[in-house]
Amino acid sequence: MSEKNLHPDQMYIDGLLQNNSSIIQSIYKKFAPKVKNYIRTNSGDDDQAQDIIQEVLITIYNQAKTNGLQLSCPFDAYFFLLCKRRWLNELKKASNKEVTLMDENVSIDESVQEMASQTEFFDDKQSLFDEMFQKLGEKCQEVLKLSFVTKTMEEVAEKLNVTYGYVRKKKSLCTGQLTEMIQQSPRFRSINY
Amino acid sequence: MNEEVYIGFESYLNNEMPTEEKIQFENRLKTDSDFNKSFALYKETTQFLGTKFSKDTVDFKQNLQSISKEYFAEKEQKETKVIAFKPWYYAVAAILVIALGIFTFTKNDPQYGDYNQHENAYFIERSDEDVNLKNAQDFFNAKEYANAVTAFEKVVDLNKPELQYFYSIALIETNKYQKAEVILETIHQGTSSFKDKAVWYLALSNLKQKKLEECKMLLKQIPSDAEDYEKAQKLLKDLE
Repeated sequence: MSEKNLHPDQMYIDGLLQNNSSIIQSIYKKFAPKVKNYIRTNSGDDDQAQDIIQEVLITIYNQAKTNGLQLSCPFDAYFFLLCKRRWLNELKKASNKEVTLMDENVSIDESVQEMASQTEFFDDKQSLFDEMFQKLGEKCQEVLKLSFVTKTMEEVAEKLNVTYGYVRKKKSLCTGQLTEMIQQSPRFRSINY
Repeated sequence: MNEEVYIGFESYLNNEMPTEEKIQFENRLKTDSDFNKSFALYKETTQFLGTKFSKDTVDFKQNLQSISKEYFAEKEQKETKVIAFKPWYYAVAAILVIALGIFTFTKNDPQYGDYNQHENAYFIERSDEDVNLKNAQDFFNAKEYANAVTAFEKVVDLNKPELQYFYSIALIETNKYQKAEVILETIHQGTSSFKDKAVWYLALSNLKQKKLEECKMLLKQIPSDAEDYEKAQKLLKDLE
């Protein structure tokens, strides 16, 4: 995406990425009431709205941090669509019955749809990664975690009381194992890589 | 995939591969699509893990959590303030209910007093033209209607609908309904700009006498382009 397509609301994405409290607060102030209202009128409550909003903001942050996120549409519409769809999924999960919804029949701008779909696609992958990570052996989880939170691999080796070479090798193999588990999972295909 | 491949991925990503090996590696990426896919997933997995365990992410989640709590707690407080009834609130609530009852009662039973904010009279400016007319005007605007009636009756020429109109209002105010209604009826039959206004005051005269059916009938005659149409409709609604 070229720079000229960047929407001025990119500031909200950047604010999340920089963990800028005043921008995060303004996101809540400006955009949370609409989501809250939507969830309330669709068999939810404030606690559920709180969770949905938080999850969506974390997803946006994760995408921005992992792959970069260049917003080409208004944040308001993008954020609301993400929250709305996430809530619909919650409702579907909770009941097998058809869910009737109060839905304003407005057509959603294509660029908003596109941005939201990208984020949802990312979120699907992210949750698959997380799920598989939990299935990794304890030792692997520890090595991987340490190798990302610790500054250098030398320090990781020191902490684990093993050699540098061993930690490097272990990290490679554990990451490799994780990729294999991801590839073999049925969800991997459905995500349509 | 064998171990060597993953170790290769890792050292390539960390830019630790000797140049010769690196060239070979990049060539294989171009020619071997399975190898390429495996590497792409390895790279992506590394990025995911990087985000997942980065200190920034942990800090962000913590900060987000506290901002979220703060935001929702504030909202809740505002809402519970309304909901949380303390005993003395019941007293206040009871008074409110009574007050509301009285209010609604009054509203459903409109009084002439709700509508007697008459427009001011502006006949003349100086008393040297016609003292009586000037007095009538001043008394009327001062809401001294009995004095206004007396002054009007001393005015030599009361043929102008405008003067008759204010005269009749003063008559209604002093409960001289019959006289007022004869004059208002005459104005209504005429063609002046007070034609419809006269009907409005005919209705108010009946309202003041509690002749509500007559009042309603008159209100219904006020055309929608009349100045008093909205007031008339409101009064009509309140009467029904």
